[in-house]
Amino acid sequence: MKQTVDDSLRKSGDRFYQELNAATGAYRTGGIGKFISDSVSVFELNLIPIMRQWYLIVLFAAAFPLPWFYVTKAIAPDDPNVLRRLLAGTLVFGVAMSIGMLVGQSAVAQRFMGNLKLIITMPVSKGAFFLGTLAYSSISGIITVVMLLGFGIAAGVEISISWGFVPALALTVLTMAGLTMLVISFAPTQQIGNISAALLAMVLAIVSPVYFTMEQAPLVLKALGYISPLRYAADGITKSLSGRADVLVELVVLTGFAIVTMSLGLWRFPWRED
Amino acid sequence: MQAPPVEVKELNKRYKNGVWANREISLTVEPGEMLGILGPNGAGKTTLVRQITTELIPTSGEVRVFGIDAVAHYNEVKGYMGVMPQEAQLFYGLSVRHHLRIFGKLRGLSAKMAAHRAEELIADLRLEQHRDKPTDELSGGLKRRLLVGIAALVDPPLMVLDEPSAGLDPEARHDLWELLRGYRRKGTTVLLTTHNMEEAKVLCDRVGIIQDGRLLALDTVDNLKAGHGYEYKITFEVDDKTETIYGSTDKELVAQVQAKGIRQYAVSRTTLEDVYLGLTRNRRTEGEDEANSG
Repeated sequence: MKQTVDDSLRKSGDRFYQELNAATGAYRTGGIGKFISDSVSVFELNLIPIMRQWYLIVLFAAAFPLPWFYVTKAIAPDDPNVLRRLLAGTLVFGVAMSIGMLVGQSAVAQRFMGNLKLIITMPVSKGAFFLGTLAYSSISGIITVVMLLGFGIAAGVEISISWGFVPALALTVLTMAGLTMLVISFAPTQQIGNISAALLAMVLAIVSPVYFTMEQAPLVLKALGYISPLRYAADGITKSLSGRADVLVELVVLTGFAIVTMSLGLWRFPWRED
Repeated sequence: MQAPPVEVKELNKRYKNGVWANREISLTVEPGEMLGILGPNGAGKTTLVRQITTELIPTSGEVRVFGIDAVAHYNEVKGYMGVMPQEAQLFYGLSVRHHLRIFGKLRGLSAKMAAHRAEELIADLRLEQHRDKPTDELSGGLKRRLLVGIAALVDPPLMVLDEPSAGLDPEARHDLWELLRGYRRKGTTVLLTTHNMEEAKVLCDRVGIIQDGRLLALDTVDNLKAGHGYEYKITFEVDDKTETIYGSTDKELVAQVQAKGIRQYAVSRTTLEDVYLGLTRNRRTEGEDEANSG
């Protein structure tokens, strides 16, 4: 939607407005173009402050997943299927941690430090804020994936990536982001918000059967596995790393999780106070 | 007839903890005027402003901005308003130029127009020397200046500023006032909250006095003083206590005080502060009476 500027709204005409109208016809307050532009702007607001310390993002992306994969590989049997599962499990764990912690930290900090107040005064939708924050948080997730795949190949894990790999990862990212927004929306303080976001990612990844299959899981974890999105993510990614294309079930379940968690997260995240 | 920039009717806000922050507030902000809402901390100024800027949903009542229902069409209404929230913080690590450019885009300008407008505002706000400085290195006054600039990005017909000069030193406050006067000269309607009497007096065409969530009075400073009933006051000390008496003429007051044998006194015209104290004391007394009779 474009908003035209009505000069009768002001007592006297204004040069900037006249130039603005002449140049663009109007300024935007809605529509898909504005939504994308707003998402990019929120992405910039998050990214620019950390650009000078870019190496921290790389370290954050690598610090946990690479050593963890190295350790688990060292004690695992030299079976290509087991190694692929370990790689898939570490990918899911790493991405879940990256997204959970960065989405959580960014949204919580903006909410409790007063930055969000400034964004809310603009004609910006909650969805655009969410997408921009998610895009920023995904940088670390992408670095984790690229590094782990390279490390896995270098370490001799036999992989053949099929079409389901990218959609499975993308749906995992959306699900984790939605869950994180939902959890932090209940946080009364910044500290509790940060702790909640970190706990969510860690606990969910640890209790879900991501490093082993459902058949290998202990009874309690098996039950949790049925309702954990990360188990479906790990199953789908393991299959995708084996070159298998039969990942439709996992993708459908993950899509369901992504829609539900994102809807709940967006609905709950405070934008207008009641 | 053009709809007024802001129209509030019988607005009530009750928070979830049961506290009534606004009660039956009705007011209209006229085109091109600068209207100040004056009141002590916790009086309900920010709650009122947050409902006008659509951040807070009213419990009941109506808020219209240029005739548009601000509760139902909040995004549309934001397009007509530049807002400076009281507790808003600038982004750590971002420069002055970054803020103006990115928020220009969020306001709906194209990337090219936002960059152009950022440069224009940096000059208008006299922030040229600080263009590429991270905002965490700016003084409080410069940060406030930038926040006003963000509110003014598309030169909106209405600006809503919540305690714009809070915490500023006198020099920075006067700089800010000059900036705000500039917007009013351009025809922008300004609604601001303050607890600074001088700010209300020197900046505002009309002043609303709010306490305990209720709007006690709304008029020009001169009319408020006239409504107070007395044009002069005399202040003197008795038994180490300062006393003030109000009257219609200075001669009448002097005669009263001299009759008491007091030789040291100060006569002056009543101020906005006297009106404010008079109204808020009356309200406090009424509140205590209500509580006692209840």
